[in-house]
Amino acid sequence: MKKKNINIKPKYTILIIIFSIIVIVTVFSHTLKEDRQLNKFESFIKDTVTSVEKIVFYPFKFVINKVDDYKELNNIRKKYQSLLPEVERIDSLNAENIELRKQLKALKEELNITYTINDYEYLNATVINRNIAHWYNTITIDKGSYNGVEPDMVVVNSSGLIGRVVSTTTFTSDVRLITTSDTINKISVTISDNNTSVNGLIKNYNYNTKYLEVEGISNTEKITEGAYVYTSGLGGIFPSGILIGTVKNITTDEYDLAKIIDVSPVANFDDINYVAVLKRKEIEK
Amino acid sequence: MIVIIIYTIISFLLDGLLSNYMSINIIDPSYFRTIYSIISLVIIYNYFDNNTKYLKILLVLGMFFDIVYTNTFLLNVVIFLIIYLIIKKINIFIPNNIFTINLKSILSITIYHILSYLILLLSNYHNYSIRLLTLILSRSIIVTIIYTTISYLLLKKIYFKIYDKKIK
Repeated sequence: MKKKNINIKPKYTILIIIFSIIVIVTVFSHTLKEDRQLNKFESFIKDTVTSVEKIVFYPFKFVINKVDDYKELNNIRKKYQSLLPEVERIDSLNAENIELRKQLKALKEELNITYTINDYEYLNATVINRNIAHWYNTITIDKGSYNGVEPDMVVVNSSGLIGRVVSTTTFTSDVRLITTSDTINKISVTISDNNTSVNGLIKNYNYNTKYLEVEGISNTEKITEGAYVYTSGLGGIFPSGILIGTVKNITTDEYDLAKIIDVSPVANFDDINYVAVLKRKEIEK
Repeated sequence: MIVIIIYTIISFLLDGLLSNYMSINIIDPSYFRTIYSIISLVIIYNYFDNNTKYLKILLVLGMFFDIVYTNTFLLNVVIFLIIYLIIKKINIFIPNNIFTINLKSILSITIYHILSYLILLLSNYHNYSIRLLTLILSRSIIVTIIYTTISYLLLKKIYFKIYDKKIK
C-alpha cells in the first residue's frame, strides 16, 4: 500500500510549531507548579513506588548509616571535649528555660492568646528522594496527609531550617528547600548578635560558595561576622527563632546603600536524610 | 526483553537512590547525580528492532519519572520523546561503540537539562541561573561516563549471551 504524502505549506508549518510551543508552555507552566496537588491516580502511583523504593533502599541506607556511625565514633572524643563546658551549663539553662516558659504561658493567659505561630510539635520523617526537575531543590519525605502533614508546614533537621512543605500525597510530602531562589515567597530573617537585631530577606543561594545571600538591610546597620541568622516569624509561614546559619561575609550593593550578607547555613543541603516537620498544634477552644 | 526491563527498572530506582542517599563526606554527592533513566533509554535503544515496543517503555518510564521524581504531568514524557528523536537521527549516521554511546549519553543528559532549564525559565517563577545549569552538567559528566560504560558492557555481555538477537 502506498503511503500518502501530506504536503503542508511552510506558513502553516510555522503556525503549527508556534501553536504547539504555546500549548506545551501552557501545560508545563501549570504542571511545573511545585504546589500542584497530585490527583488520586498519581498519588496512588507515587505512594506505591515510594513504598517499593523504601524496601529496596533499606539495605543501602543501613550500610550508609553504619559508615556514618563509624565516622562519628572517631570524632566522638573531640566532640565530647568541646561540649564539656556546655554540658556543665545545661542544668542552669534548663532551669532558665522552665522559668521562661512559665512566664510566657502566664503572659499568654493574661493576653488571652490561645495560639501563636510558634506552637508546634515535631513529626520525624525520612527523605526518600530529591526532585530532579527542580534541580534537587525539592525533597520527598515519607510522611503525608495521613500523618497530618499539610502544605506550608515548616521542615527542619537537627541543625536548623530546611524548607517548607509544598504538596502532599497520602503517604509522602514534597518539601521545597530554602536554597530555592523563590522570587515571590522570600524568607524573612533576623540577624542577631548580643547587642543588635536586624531584619532582612533571603535573596538566593550561591551554589559555588554554598552561602545564602540576605538582602534588604540598610548600610548603616552594624552587623558582625559570626552573628546568628534565624527566622523572624514575619510572613506567617515560618515560626520565629529557627536557626538558619551564621554571618560569614558582609558586602555592600552597587550603590553603597544596602548590605549584602553571606550566610553559611547550619544545615548541609547535600546531606539531608532525616528531617522533622513542625506540625501546628490544635487550637484549644 | 526481561533483561532490558530489569535494567530499566534498576536505572529508574538508581535515580531515586543516588539523588539523595550517596552522602559520603569525602566526595560531594552532587558528583553522583545524573539521570540514570535517560542513560538506560540510550543504551537499550540498540536492542530494539521494533520501535513501538521501545516507545511503550519510554512512555511508561517517562510517566513514572513524572509522577515519582518530579511531580509533573507529561513534562518528562515529552522531553524523553525529544531525546528519542535526536538519538534516532544520530544513530543513522554514527555507529554504536563504547565511545559513541558515551557521547550519546552525555548529549542526552545535556539536552534534558537544557530543555528543563528553558521550560523552567519560560513557565516558572523561580530564578534558575545558567551557572547552576553548567554546574549540574559538568558534575554529571563523570558519573554518566561510568554508568554508560558499565551498562553498555554488562548488557552487551548478558543480552547477546542469552538471546543473541534484537527485540522484534
